Formats: sequence, structure tokens, C-alpha cells
Amino acid sequence: MKMFYPFFLLFILFSGCGLKNINTPVATAQQQEKSAIADEQSGDDTELDDFDEFRDELEAEPLYDPLSGYNRIMTEFNDMFYIYLLTPVAKGYKTVLHVEIRKSVANFFHNLYYPIRLVNNLLQGEFKDASEETGRFLINTTIGVAGLFDPAQSEFGLKAHEEDFGQTLGFYGVGSGVHIVLPILGPSNLRDAISLIPDAYLSPIDYTSRDHFTLTDTKKEYAAVKSYEYINEFSLDIQMYEKIKKDAVDLYPYLRDIYEQRREKQIKE
Amino acid sequence: MKYIARFFLLVWSLFIFTQSVMANEQLDLKNHLLTKIDEVILIVQDKSLSKSKRNSDIIHTLQSIFDFEIMAKLSLGKNTWNELGKDEQKRFTELYVKRMEKSYSSKLDAYTDEKVEIKEILQPKENRIYFVTDLVNGGEKLEVTYKFYKPKETPSSKHHWLIYDVEILGVSILKADSAQFKDFLKTKTIAQLMDALDK
Repeated sequence: MKMFYPFFLLFILFSGCGLKNINTPVATAQQQEKSAIADEQSGDDTELDDFDEFRDELEAEPLYDPLSGYNRIMTEFNDMFYIYLLTPVAKGYKTVLHVEIRKSVANFFHNLYYPIRLVNNLLQGEFKDASEETGRFLINTTIGVAGLFDPAQSEFGLKAHEEDFGQTLGFYGVGSGVHIVLPILGPSNLRDAISLIPDAYLSPIDYTSRDHFTLTDTKKEYAAVKSYEYINEFSLDIQMYEKIKKDAVDLYPYLRDIYEQRREKQIKE
Repeated sequence: MKYIARFFLLVWSLFIFTQSVMANEQLDLKNHLLTKIDEVILIVQDKSLSKSKRNSDIIHTLQSIFDFEIMAKLSLGKNTWNELGKDEQKRFTELYVKRMEKSYSSKLDAYTDEKVEIKEILQPKENRIYFVTDLVNGGEKLEVTYKFYKPKETPSSKHHWLIYDVEILGVSILKADSAQFKDFLKTKTIAQLMDALDK
């Protein structure tokens, strides 16, 4: 029995080697519960097939998609719009302006939308992220010349925390609702589409009359600025849409699923 | 009292042992994944290779670590899969694999000098290991998660842990494919789906 302790010590020592650099396995109560249910349900079958093995990971709730007819048509319209109008325009624009300038334009707009990110971070109780956003805004507006550059990220290591009202609602448990494809803007859902309104109120680019200062006053100005922002953004990665589209067998459900999965992930973050 | 202490030590050491077995498995797999990534990067950087040779070399490297067959099966769903005859199942799998390879190759064409950094290793179940990685390009990061499972039996040409799904920015390609196949088959036939995959 005397040997027990040295043996034990040795054992622990070597166990430690294996644990180096590794995060401890995460098994959330929920996952354990799920697999327990799955095991219970398939308990009778001695031979489990691959589908049973992955059941709790892949089984999606049946999607309620009453607008699929409209959505399909709008997806077609957007597809034509991106390929025959937006892509050639963005390509022309790209040849005229150097990529660094286009990045600066994108930075400028991103900096303008700071109020949206601030308010939604605060609403979700992300106070650290909200203060980081504020730090970014102050640095980029001053040292970064009105937001054209992003020294907050490159020099101070302050990361942006993208939050919008759709994510805030999702954070408080509001479901996505019916999937809606918006003209030009693309895939969305009831929750996120309605959320565009409160976010627009916080945006300095808007056309409705506000008590506070906005960069645009009329609908025409608004449309011009927004279109420019959109073309500039698209020009930074013209191929992206076509790259995604290449993997689609059926474009509408493919984009719908990618959008919903992406939003779910953003809400969790 | 002494016996109780000894008993607890034994229980504890057993606990540590199981933990370390899991961790060793993760470490093995991590090294394997990093080797495969390095192999792919070496092939990509070899400018003497023609594009088609390069892509076929990469696919060959990936085939030992990806389980494309199970991806094909799972993306189609249990009911549809079981309705197919053996030949149709085989044809669907072949088409699916070919499409994945094509998609992967076209993405590699855009590859410049990105680096892969593993940020987190998760093991939600005994036979699942997820590697959360960042594809770093300059200042930009793209989160890619490789999901491995341990099949009951694997052919000798393959590793005993295989990738069954990849998530890009939280979007699972398996789920996205599953969604589009399901919707497609609501109005069209499996033959039409195979034709679409073949394009």
C-alpha cells in the first residue's frame, strides 16, 4: 500500500501532460439532456444508423414559410439586380477608386452607425462592449479623421461589436418570425425587418424629420447616400454573392437558411 | 479515516484519467488536423503545379480527413435517403462529393496567404470534437469550425476521426444543404436534384 502514493503522484503528473494546451471538454447540461433523450428513444434498436447518431444535431424544426411564393420571386428579382445592375456598376466604380479609398469610405459609414451599436450593446447589457465601441468612436472620429481610418482597431486593438435591434430582440427571446426577402437588401425576417425602424431612428442618415442632426434631410438625398454606401460595400467583395450562389441548388431556401443560421449565431455572440 | 481519504484519491484519479484520455485524443486529432492543413498549404504554395494537379492533390489530402459520404447522406435526410435504391444512393453520393470538391477547389483559387489558428477545442460528446479556428488574412478573421465525429469503423485509408460538418461564421454547410435539398424536393424529383448537382 505504501506504493500507492508515489504511483498516484506519477499518475497525476502524466495526466497533466495530456491536458496541456487544451480546453476542458464542454458538455452543457442541455446537450447531455438531448443526447439522453436520443438514447432513450433509440434504446430499443440495437443497430443505430447514421441518422440516429446525428439526430439531435440536425433535426430542424419544420420551418413555417407562408411567404415562400413571394420570397422566391423576390429572390429572383434580387438575383437579377445583383448580377445585371449592381455587379457591373460596382466593377466600374472599383476601377475608378483604389481599394484603400473604398475601405475608408466603408469605415466612414461604419463609424456613423456608432449610435446603433452603442444603444443595442447597452440594451443587451454588454457594458464592456458598449464602452469599447465608445472608445472606438472617439479615437476613429478624431485620430481616424472623421472615421475614414480605423486606428482604434489597428493601433489600440479595440474591436467593433456589431449589434442591431434585431439581435437585441433575439437576445430577449423574440423569435425570428416569418422569413421575408426584402427588395435589394435580401433575406430578412419579420423580427429583423421591423427592427430596421428603431435602428433607422438612431442612424444619422435618414429622411424623416428628427429633433437631432441628420446628414440627409430629403428622400432623394437619403436614397443617393444609401445607394452609394451600398455600391461601395459591394465593390469591396464583388465575387462574394456569386461565390455563395455557386453552392446553391435551390437559391431561395439556401440563402434563407444561411441568413437564419447566421443571425442565430450573431444573437448568441 | 485513512481509507476514506484513499477512496477519494482513487475516485479522483479515475476522474483525471478519463479527462486525460479525452484530452490526449484531442491533442492527437489537433496534430493530425494541423498536419493536414500544412499539407494543403504546401500544395497551394507550390507554384510549379498546374491548377488541376494542385486541386486533385488537395482533394486527395482532404479525403482522408473528410467523411463526404456521411455528409451526402445526412444532407438528404433519413426519409429521402431510405426511399432511394442502392444505385441511386451511390450516384447521389458521388455527385455530392464531386460538387463539394468543386466548391472547395474554387474557394482555393482565391486563396492567398491566409493562416489557420485554432482558438478553441470542444468535445460536447465522447465521439465529437469541434475545432473552432480563425482563418486569418491580414487583419481580418473568418471563424471556421471543423466538426469531427468518431465512426464505429473506418476504412484503413482514413483517420479514425472524420469531419462531418464545417461551419463558416456559424453557418453549417450541412444544414444549409439539407434545407435547400428539402425545399427542392417539395416540388421536384430526386432525379432533377441529381441533374442540378451534376451541373
